[in-house]
Amino acid sequence: MEEFIKPQNLSLSPQQLSVLMPYLVVMTGGLITLLLGVFRKAVNMTVPVAAFSVLTMVLAAYSLFLVWGEPTVSLFNDMMVVDNFSNLFNLIFIVATGLVIVGSNQYLVREGIEHFEYYSLMLFSCLGMMFMASAKDLIVLFIALEIMSIAVYVLVGFKRADTRSNEAALKYFILGGLASAILLYGVALLYGATGSMNIQALAAAVQAGAASNLLFVLGAALVTGGLLFKVATVPFHMWMPDVYQGAPTTVTAFMTTGLKAAAFAAFVRFFMNLGYGADLSSTLYSGLYKVLWVSAIATMLIGNIIALTQKNIKRMLAYSSIAHTGYLIVAILCGGRSEYGYSSVLVYMAGYVVMNIGAFAVVAMLSEKNDRHTNIEDYAGLGFKKPLTGLAMTIFMFSMAGVPPTVGFAGKYLIFLSAVQAGEVLLAVLSVLCSAISAYYYLRVIVFMYMKDPVPGRAMNHTLAPAFVIGISAVITMQLGLFPSVLIEAAKKAAMMF
Amino acid sequence: MELISSSIVSLTVFLPLIFGLVLLAMPADTEAGKKLLKTAALAFSLVVFLVSLGLYGRFDASYVGFQFVESIPWIESFGISYSVGVDGISLWLIILTTFLTPIVILGSWTAVEDKLKTYYFLILALETGMLGAFVALDVILFYVFWEAMLIPMYLLIGVWGGKDRIYASMKFFLYTLVGSLLMLIAIFYVMSQYKAQFGNYSSAILELYKVKTAFDGFWSPQTLLFLAFALAFAIKVPLFPLHTWLPDAHVQAPTAGSVILAGVLLKLGGYGFIRFAFPMFPQAVQYTAPVFIALGSIAIVYGAWVAMIQPDIKKLVAYSSVSHMGYVMIGLFSLNHLAVAGSVYQMLNHGISTGGLFLIVGMIYERRHTREISEFGGITRIMPIFAVIFMIVTLSSVALPGTNGFVGEFLILLGVYQVHKVWAIVAGTGVIFGAVYMLWMFQRVMFGPIRNEENKNLKDLSLREIIVMAPIVVAIFVMGVFPNIFISKMDTSIKAFLAQINV
Repeated sequence: MEEFIKPQNLSLSPQQLSVLMPYLVVMTGGLITLLLGVFRKAVNMTVPVAAFSVLTMVLAAYSLFLVWGEPTVSLFNDMMVVDNFSNLFNLIFIVATGLVIVGSNQYLVREGIEHFEYYSLMLFSCLGMMFMASAKDLIVLFIALEIMSIAVYVLVGFKRADTRSNEAALKYFILGGLASAILLYGVALLYGATGSMNIQALAAAVQAGAASNLLFVLGAALVTGGLLFKVATVPFHMWMPDVYQGAPTTVTAFMTTGLKAAAFAAFVRFFMNLGYGADLSSTLYSGLYKVLWVSAIATMLIGNIIALTQKNIKRMLAYSSIAHTGYLIVAILCGGRSEYGYSSVLVYMAGYVVMNIGAFAVVAMLSEKNDRHTNIEDYAGLGFKKPLTGLAMTIFMFSMAGVPPTVGFAGKYLIFLSAVQAGEVLLAVLSVLCSAISAYYYLRVIVFMYMKDPVPGRAMNHTLAPAFVIGISAVITMQLGLFPSVLIEAAKKAAMMF
Repeated sequence: MELISSSIVSLTVFLPLIFGLVLLAMPADTEAGKKLLKTAALAFSLVVFLVSLGLYGRFDASYVGFQFVESIPWIESFGISYSVGVDGISLWLIILTTFLTPIVILGSWTAVEDKLKTYYFLILALETGMLGAFVALDVILFYVFWEAMLIPMYLLIGVWGGKDRIYASMKFFLYTLVGSLLMLIAIFYVMSQYKAQFGNYSSAILELYKVKTAFDGFWSPQTLLFLAFALAFAIKVPLFPLHTWLPDAHVQAPTAGSVILAGVLLKLGGYGFIRFAFPMFPQAVQYTAPVFIALGSIAIVYGAWVAMIQPDIKKLVAYSSVSHMGYVMIGLFSLNHLAVAGSVYQMLNHGISTGGLFLIVGMIYERRHTREISEFGGITRIMPIFAVIFMIVTLSSVALPGTNGFVGEFLILLGVYQVHKVWAIVAGTGVIFGAVYMLWMFQRVMFGPIRNEENKNLKDLSLREIIVMAPIVVAIFVMGVFPNIFISKMDTSIKAFLAQINV
């Protein structure tokens, strides 16, 4: 009988330990924030905990920097892997979480929810995301997904006294649980069909002809469905606008960026390892191809069209987030057959995270208690009343619309180029037309900011920390838009791993 | 000095933006501050004009190809570089841009009073965008300037425009965006083809010219790619029937916006055809030329007819743009040496004379706050200087011999007649209709008895306004009487351009 537990796989070599450092830092940080919170009877611990969380993120970024560019390291009996791909995604998660945490405190105080658990949950969720990007085994993937999601279920309902927040949390919890169950069922079927949950072993099984096995196909379909649910493609998008609108704005920023990026990280790793893309001849791949093709078009079209009619900016950004998911699905669809592979997913995701956090930071900063003043018309006159904030929001909006020279254009550039290279000209044309639709609702924000007169008495207060986040995001959006080479090279290295 | 002379193109392009940022840093709360801001904006734009004259001075008219070329790698993995340069065609469009900018700044001296800083910043940023698009020798760099330029124009119309400014600015932005996004896909297709044929990426236009795309009638890649480019540029020109954004944008835009829009932005459409669409897809151009010549001729006549019945002077001028740009299109698509030279010339003419007309409309609007033709009549007696200048610009617009308009239209019609007789005749009737609507408008506004009491106390042009109009009047006559100054500099480039297409 084969020996399952190998002692040599239970101890960590120094190299393995060093690549695990970012994960350990975030985990330890999360645990310490919990311990620090114990002292809340004596002093208000929110600000110290927030500061400590930021410190954790800085340390995590530093430890990531130390292992940046190291060769691939396999961990825990090949259940997990740290490579350029996971490193780049980890950087995205750390930057996203860090920026959201910096911008959160003022919002929490205003809403009267300044509890230290907020920060612990953010850190744990971030840890889950990091594991998701490096999971090589479907069961690790599932556990990582749950670590990430459970923390966020709580965060969504963090405004305990607010019915919308409660509704959002419940909705998200039930539907998220359903998605997890679907995913897990798919994993079980795949295990039944192949006897393994390791992605590489699955790929080998596909090579050996497992794709003709009905059990395998069903399992693959359920896993894909679960992932599509997590990234909220049409028709699995129904939960998203309500959740995004009901959740505290800072949590929404976290969800649209970190969570989405993590789901895509898992998605891409799954697809890349299965060797999808290069060859569409088998039933499995051509089936997947059709599903993704239809889902990409539907997601872009429905996301953009419904966003046109939104009056609330959080809801508008939620639908726009659905539309952006559509572009990312296009990237996944075409990645395997284009020269730079899946690097377009990474570039787009990185850009989207930065501009989206910036936009939500503006929304969070300018809203008032109980999320008042989050309608687009509440931005009337912002551009001339607060020129810098107006400028930053303008940058974010143009970037989301994909207008050069912003990072949004760099991302769209790669996606559309890869679509053309993959021979998907029709898909590329439909995507750009959808992106032209999207320009309308992004421009509407600018219309209100610059072309309407301000409402008298509207304060538009500014506070330091969110303004800092907005500034940083705006600078990165422009910087990566004007000089995208750094990002493109990093993404290329990350995506060429497979 | 070494640095300046080696990067004179970049200097011309980015100076306005840098100056614009300086303006943003200036205080403009007091009256004195505002005055200083305006003066600084004017001085800055004049400096840019002088720098661009440096380009003219060093330009070698006999050299085939691009001059003052600068090339720095930008995004190396895709072969994208910051490469800029000038040839005989872009040289004049650059000078047109830098020539009109100080004029519109001086022209909006009293018309714009609020949010001055942003206003002048946007005008200068727009100048950078337009100049960048004219000098870009890399198709992605061109695209970046082409799109980025939309933003300041959009804000100029949307913030300082008239009553329906938001609708007009939105329409302007979305129309242009849809066209350019399809062009972007076509650019990607060509880049991928280049990669397939030559093994590496490049987006330098001189490299992309080498790409051979399959041509076989309408449903072949080359024709479809050409149409994707043509859509973007035809919207910008604007070619009938894609012109509907233009009257809205023109009428709602502030005077400076209209002048730049008509004077320079529309030229980018024609320039795009010359620089990108034609040389990259020569067979498709020849295949589709009859359609475009037909559309251009229809635009000439239709624009003139619609202009004739407009009750609003500004709208009349806007439709006259549609008509005048139709000449540019038929000239280009006739692929005849004379006509192409005429088209380039007509682009400059249109910038000068329509720009001048919009300034005149702006001056009269500042006095009466209306542009309805029926509100006026007999203005000649009250504003004699104004009448003389208005007459000169009107005659230039109807292409009277001795003015610039004549040279362009004559060359175009002569050239087109050699290739497409019927359409040349149709377009020729446009000259007559052009005279009808312009002179009829002039007669109703300027001659006859003074019907409206309010017009009796109108002031004639101030010294500032005369200074605004003087360069335009001078340009009209210089271009009308000595066309060779201009054509001699551009002719080598035009021959090279035609040689690329008739392979």
